Amino acid sequence: MSRWRDVRDKLFILLVILMSAIALLPLLHMIITIAINGIQTIARAGIRFFTDIPPPPISRDIGGIAPSLVGSFITTLTSLPITIALALSAAILSTEFPSNPLSRLTDILSRSFASIPTIVVSMFVYALVVVPMNRFSALAGAVALSLISLPYAYTSFSSALRSVPQTYREASYSIGMNRWQTVIKVFIPIARKAIVVSILITFARAMGETATLLFTVGRYRVGVNIDIRAPTDTIPLLIFDFITTPFKVYHEIAWGAALVLLFIYIAIFITVKTIVKEVKL
Amino acid sequence: MRYAIEIKNLNLYISDRHILKNVSMDIEPNTIHVIMGPSGSGKTTLLRVINRLIDLTPNIKVSGEVYVLGRNVFEIDPYTLRRDIGMVFQVPNPFPHMSIYWNIAIAARLNGVARNKRDLDEVVRWALEKAMLWDEVKDRLNKYPNELSGGQRQRLCLARALAMKPKILLLDEPTANIDPVNARKLEEAIVSLKNDVTIVMVTHSPHQAARVADSVTLIYDGAVVEQGAASRIFLHPSNEFTAKFLRGEI
Repeated sequence: MSRWRDVRDKLFILLVILMSAIALLPLLHMIITIAINGIQTIARAGIRFFTDIPPPPISRDIGGIAPSLVGSFITTLTSLPITIALALSAAILSTEFPSNPLSRLTDILSRSFASIPTIVVSMFVYALVVVPMNRFSALAGAVALSLISLPYAYTSFSSALRSVPQTYREASYSIGMNRWQTVIKVFIPIARKAIVVSILITFARAMGETATLLFTVGRYRVGVNIDIRAPTDTIPLLIFDFITTPFKVYHEIAWGAALVLLFIYIAIFITVKTIVKEVKL
Repeated sequence: MRYAIEIKNLNLYISDRHILKNVSMDIEPNTIHVIMGPSGSGKTTLLRVINRLIDLTPNIKVSGEVYVLGRNVFEIDPYTLRRDIGMVFQVPNPFPHMSIYWNIAIAARLNGVARNKRDLDEVVRWALEKAMLWDEVKDRLNKYPNELSGGQRQRLCLARALAMKPKILLLDEPTANIDPVNARKLEEAIVSLKNDVTIVMVTHSPHQAARVADSVTLIYDGAVVEQGAASRIFLHPSNEFTAKFLRGEI
């Protein structure tokens, strides 16, 4: 009887390992494919891959992805403060005043907004920002990214704040802190790891957005633009456009750009794991 | 103002459950008043009314009057009220993201007890000495509370409460979750504080009450069973329930 139990236990563990491996396999395959193709491109282009603009379609020279790389960072970094400010305020409102009608409305809106197709948001921001400004811009892209990122950031900030045990609220009230001091001096610092992780994941997700930016940033690739009111480009848009062309050189650039994007994700992941320290309760 | 705390006909309901039933109580300044009674009799709730932490409980309804230092607690801003009332909870809750030093310094700074570094250093040392923790932590003030034992954390919480220089100190079964050695140290610290503050302590242990109390209130099922000077109640309880509770039969 006990032998059969041992065999059953081992079979179960084996099954779990096998299923995990199957789940990981496509991911590993994707990373390896991107790495192999991307490294070849970047090795051929050298440092120019990060400093140059893309070449004409029929070219032996690979050129670079500088406009998209810089544009990605500018658009995402512009959207990030907007997202953090709005999402954190809404999260504080919903955790501090859970029964307030405005908190409930925020909660419902953020949940429903999470399922709106990103292309619809892009169209909405096109009408809201691009048309009145009469031009595509990094700013329009940032507004679109903020709208897309808000539901995720709000949900993760809310759960980070809710995860702080209420006994610390009692402690801070008991030494004379008011509600806002409690949030700023106690709740946010205790939940800092979860909050920073949420910010970095929001950043990473925004870096990878494609459809959201289709009608907003303008896909400007003939030069590097650092003015947020001017058109720009992003890495996902460049990959989207280049991989659907028949030109070999553009396919190579797309693989190199994908590797750069992957590297940014890995860098963010390592930052989260190593730099941000968790508060030990 | 003869009494530090006066409670008159206090009734409290949580979601229509009658938790405190017509409780009245007077506590003289610079004494240790112990509220004792079996678990679930409303002791902690009563304590949390005094500093209005009960406001954090949803669906409460209160009637009656509670005066702290002559002011009706229901008529003043709760945050202002709490600046005169320190509290130590049943489970130690030092701020985990602050060093031992800052756990105490923040209470002093918030309440205007000390503003510059030198004054803060002095208050931190004074509070830790009063809580009988200074010798154990003086070389690691910049460490975090997770490195302390449960009993040390509880004394850190006492030091934090003292750093506010409160006029009243509420203690909610402060030794319930710590070892006997730390519990004894904490009790010693509490008794030594009597000259500085008025202490209201909740406990379910008659032995602890007998060791520290000047006056006692026994509560059962939200109502006051008996109250008066500790010496009288422990030697000559006038109520059969009190006698049984003190003998450990309830």
